[in-house]
Amino acid sequence: MFPELVPGSPSRRELLKAVSCGFGYAALAGLATEAAAADARNGNPLSPRPPHFAARARRVIFLCMRGGPSHVDTFDHKPQLMADDGQPVSGKKGRKLMGSPWKFSPRGESGLEISELFPEVARHVDDLCVLNGMYADVPTHPECFVQLHTGSFQFVRPSMGAWVLYGLGTENANLPGFITLNPPSRVGGAQNYGSAFLPAVYQGTRIGQLGRPLKQATVGNLDNPRLSPASQRRQLDFVQSLNRELLQQRPSDGQLEGVIESYELAFRMQAELPQVLDTAGESQSTLETYGVGVKATDDFGRQCLLARRLAEAGGRFIELSHANWDQHGGLRKRLPANCAAVDRPIAALLADLKQRDMLKDTLVVWGGEFGRTPHVKKQDGRDHNATGFTFWMAGGGVKGGIAHGATDPHGIEAVAGKVHFHDLHATMLHLLGIDHQRLTYRYGGRDFRLTDVRGQVVHDILT
Amino acid sequence: MRHLLTLWLLLVVTGPALSADKPTARELAFFEKKIRPLLVQHCYKCHSRQAKTVEAGLLLDSRQGWMTGGENGAVIAAGSPGESLLIQAVNYEGLEMPPKEKLSPQQIADLTRWVRQGAPDPRTGDSISPIRRTIDIDQGRTFWAFHPALAAPLPPVENPAWPLDAIDHFILAGIEAAGLAPVGDADRRTLVRRLYFDLVGLPPTQQQVDDFVHDKSSRAVETLVDELLESPHFGERWGRHWLDVARYAESTGMERNFTFPHAWRYRDYVIDAFNRDLPYNRFITEQVAGDLLPAKTAADRNRLTVATGFLAMGPKSLNEPNPKVFQMDVVDDQVDISTRAVLALTVSCARCHDHKFDPFPTEDYYAIAGIFRSTRTLFGTGKGQGNRRATGLVSLASSAPKEATPSPAADQKTAQITKLTEQLRKARRELRKLQGPPKGKKKGKKKSNKKANKKAPSKTAATPQQLKQLRNRVRRLNRKLKQARGGGQGNTKPTGPVAMGVQDGAPEDCRVHIRGNVKTLGKRVPRGFPQVVHLDSVPGVNGSQSGRLEFAAWLTSAENPLTARVMANRVWYHLTGRGLVTTLDNFGAMGQRPSHPELLDHLALDFIENNWSVKSLIRKIVLSRTYRLASTPYPANRTKDPDNTRFWRMNHRRLDAEAIRDAILAVSGQLETAPPKRSVVADIGDANVGRAGGTLTKLNAPSRYRSVYLPIVRNAVPEMLRLFDFAEPSMLVGRRDVTTVPAQALFLLNSPFMLAQADRLAARVVAAAADEAGRVEMAYRMTLNREPTDGESTAAIALVTAHLTSLPGQNTDGDRQQAWSGLCQALLACAEFRYLQ
Repeated sequence: MFPELVPGSPSRRELLKAVSCGFGYAALAGLATEAAAADARNGNPLSPRPPHFAARARRVIFLCMRGGPSHVDTFDHKPQLMADDGQPVSGKKGRKLMGSPWKFSPRGESGLEISELFPEVARHVDDLCVLNGMYADVPTHPECFVQLHTGSFQFVRPSMGAWVLYGLGTENANLPGFITLNPPSRVGGAQNYGSAFLPAVYQGTRIGQLGRPLKQATVGNLDNPRLSPASQRRQLDFVQSLNRELLQQRPSDGQLEGVIESYELAFRMQAELPQVLDTAGESQSTLETYGVGVKATDDFGRQCLLARRLAEAGGRFIELSHANWDQHGGLRKRLPANCAAVDRPIAALLADLKQRDMLKDTLVVWGGEFGRTPHVKKQDGRDHNATGFTFWMAGGGVKGGIAHGATDPHGIEAVAGKVHFHDLHATMLHLLGIDHQRLTYRYGGRDFRLTDVRGQVVHDILT
Repeated sequence: MRHLLTLWLLLVVTGPALSADKPTARELAFFEKKIRPLLVQHCYKCHSRQAKTVEAGLLLDSRQGWMTGGENGAVIAAGSPGESLLIQAVNYEGLEMPPKEKLSPQQIADLTRWVRQGAPDPRTGDSISPIRRTIDIDQGRTFWAFHPALAAPLPPVENPAWPLDAIDHFILAGIEAAGLAPVGDADRRTLVRRLYFDLVGLPPTQQQVDDFVHDKSSRAVETLVDELLESPHFGERWGRHWLDVARYAESTGMERNFTFPHAWRYRDYVIDAFNRDLPYNRFITEQVAGDLLPAKTAADRNRLTVATGFLAMGPKSLNEPNPKVFQMDVVDDQVDISTRAVLALTVSCARCHDHKFDPFPTEDYYAIAGIFRSTRTLFGTGKGQGNRRATGLVSLASSAPKEATPSPAADQKTAQITKLTEQLRKARRELRKLQGPPKGKKKGKKKSNKKANKKAPSKTAATPQQLKQLRNRVRRLNRKLKQARGGGQGNTKPTGPVAMGVQDGAPEDCRVHIRGNVKTLGKRVPRGFPQVVHLDSVPGVNGSQSGRLEFAAWLTSAENPLTARVMANRVWYHLTGRGLVTTLDNFGAMGQRPSHPELLDHLALDFIENNWSVKSLIRKIVLSRTYRLASTPYPANRTKDPDNTRFWRMNHRRLDAEAIRDAILAVSGQLETAPPKRSVVADIGDANVGRAGGTLTKLNAPSRYRSVYLPIVRNAVPEMLRLFDFAEPSMLVGRRDVTTVPAQALFLLNSPFMLAQADRLAARVVAAAADEAGRVEMAYRMTLNREPTDGESTAAIALVTAHLTSLPGQNTDGDRQQAWSGLCQALLACAEFRYLQ
């Protein structure tokens, strides 16, 4: 999309990168919203830019279930699996089919079947677009997790959030446009929200770390332990006077203008970001709806609530994480616990977005790196299955109350309406108004894209 | 026409073998009923003459079409579905066709049956695929980058008094031709700061500034430059530039991030090489083939071993279940890094298809790939936790003498190891020969079985006894070698010092991997070098070795048109902020053309002539008038040449992450200028970074060493370096981004590191003078190497006073310190501190 970046050229170097405080002239003028003119992009790599075509969604909230949630126990009802419970599987020595221990029932007007593990999310069934034909390449966590996030486990590539930010910019200059809450440090770690060869301004901002409660998470360097805001402002004014002096000696030096603006922005960000992250102002009933304060749901409830607040404040790509869905054993006990931890918060998020009329342009995506085998070796555990599993989407221009694609009668392999991660990425970008084949970045003499040479938009699910 | 004839001949010759008999009516009926509709429906969209673009040059709408095949050759082996690319593709083995959805099992069965019948096909039609592309190597050679560098005469200039040397002649001619004028020279204070940061990455002290400013000698600049080039900090600065290109890191990165506890040896090797001004051609040779070079002493041997860490340093996907895929990914990294770092060519694009823009057919890629496939890459990493691909490491002679006097014992030992290794290699080779193809293959496809059967009786007539003897010999040698290396019996882990690096493996040419896939193999390509740069003076690959030695000779030949240009361009970029070719890592068709081709050639030839001395090259550039220009813009020039493509002034440059951090530590008095013994990652040892929670804490522990010595773990780069655009260590980075983001401002305003350094600096400032004005002056001189203006001094004192009055206690020593700390922090945070004028 951009020609190869050339250093020293104001149109690229000074403007695109050096002023890449991400906020540029708009911030200087005190404008922090998408009011920034369309051509502001010239001066600022993060200012909003028009999509390729009319967008259905303006932002994405990705609910990432690390470990690979079992599809046949949640959103992919397989009566035949129940019927053949205990039967051997051809070609899988020593393994037997295991029917889901949980009941499925038709929900809502659409009558889509959802298991009893997701009673609250099931209330929103008519907003869900369930993708039952998902598949990926290899049934191992790190590879699939990284591929889900970057499209490739073979090479280091930018994450989907970075691509989205690169394509669309951010709507609120005072906030990071791509935020990831509690991401895992393993299975690729920072690569999952990294920018790889894209300019670093597009990388995700991490808040918290998987395995530690979000409640204790802080964003680094957001406050000064010594100076009151007034004292710091005085100090900053002094810094800025030095910077302006330098600018006077070299008028219209884009880099220096960028530095000056980045300080103003930082000063505003340290005031605004904590406000967005601080849920103290939310009513008790809201907190309760999200499950905040209840042990089981507190952490993911906070994540969902924050996601809504960040979305409202103009965040572009917001990712939440929950683990661990890797139930090789203890399925009957641990899977319900997992579902209970996220069910209520997710339902609250969907309801909240809807109530604020934001669901229509917010694409909510739920899923993990793969699904689980319908056949088992141990009595009470399912193993990795990348040949068929389930994601669901809601809002942001996807049809509600439909199931797209299917696995075979036992739920082992996707057989119809197959959707690979590349297709998921292509569809997600499409909903955001981006043609995945045109969103490219030149690196090492080649134009790269999120979907590499693959990706088909799943047109059947678009409204 | 000749093309047509060849094809026709091919048809005549191979035709009868394909289907000896005319298709029967039944076969034709089957084709019409099952096959033709299937091809029309699922294949013609991309593989017929009606297609918008014919994918891979393959036509499936005529018999001749599939016989000729496309980029990947013929797709049907009539009668043998197992060997037909078409059948593999529809089964999604390797290729996946049709791409959107796999054919139904019935359709696949029909196609298979048809091919088994001999693919009877009544369709006639043009066989020549309209877009079958071939790369014209001769045409490729006409591109500027493949022309030999030429010495151009100095261009005439209007103002002959201006140039100090040849560089200035070329630059001034360009400036004048564009109707511009160069700005004035930088003042001494600016120049001394520029030279310190550019050459050693550290700020000058007040004393050093004063000395230079007051040095009235006409050779003041030369004296300073020579002094800086001899400083041990030179290698720390310039070695780091190379480490960016070498994607140096102390962990595998990727989805499972395992530490490389021995990577630091390579880092130290690079720093040392720049400090010793190792000729660049030798530097490259050591990194590509150090293990194959002769060494006089054990220390030499060790150094050469460590150098090959360059090839082992790439990101690794340790959980890759398929060893072949893993091997080819490692090979790909090596092809890519060696060609892009040294030649700025993207040869690795040709892994899956002919290069789209540059003259590299796929065969060129696999010619180099064969060299690295004949190489064993030893990068270590701890076993377990999903690491399927751990390797050993290379043993170093443990008692490497510190001085040049080698200890006889160590020498003897090394000699013994070398001897044993050679014997073992020989024995293994013999064994392989006698055994025929390895066991695994027999289980595999019929194809190899046939071959094996054919070959077996004719060649290998080894008696079982011979085989047994040989096997025992291999076992014995293995045991001896282990003992010699210092590992006890049954202990595969060497106990002495080890390094990442490479060794020769079994030499073998590589087959083209069609579409880069390990399952679809094409023809075997002899090991060699890209054809577009053919050098008569460089010998071909030595068949009994990997070929890295010859590859290195090819890379570093004075006749190679790229090597010297690429490095000269890198050096120019680091000193001026803009490359003569702005795409430092891509000199191909998709890269930019040089802004000053004659100057680039001049620098390249000069570089070679001066025995590839990087220091001489740097010296020459920094002594030019061009380098010494001020960075303040002329408004008139700015309109005409806003990008400063003509170098009519010095670019205004932000310091890189390391220089900013080192400068802060230097002025706060906290910088430890001596290098550490090794690295934090070496202390941590083998670990899975994501899993070991404590590891991250250790990595982030405060450090006073220069930034080049901080632990560089992929996906966990130290915060400050990451914030200020440190090179992504998984990638080759010739030119770093320069971003200006609020996160940097927040770091400078609020981070514990900045507060602590500001405190230290404040203590120095307060101790240095008794009165406020004196302290302010000290603070300015220490941080910005200049005196404050009156206005600045007043504002600074006002800031300190206001800060003091805002504190509740008032005027305790601690309060005063804190107030001065606030000012010091402001000076460290202002743009002037981190920009080179």
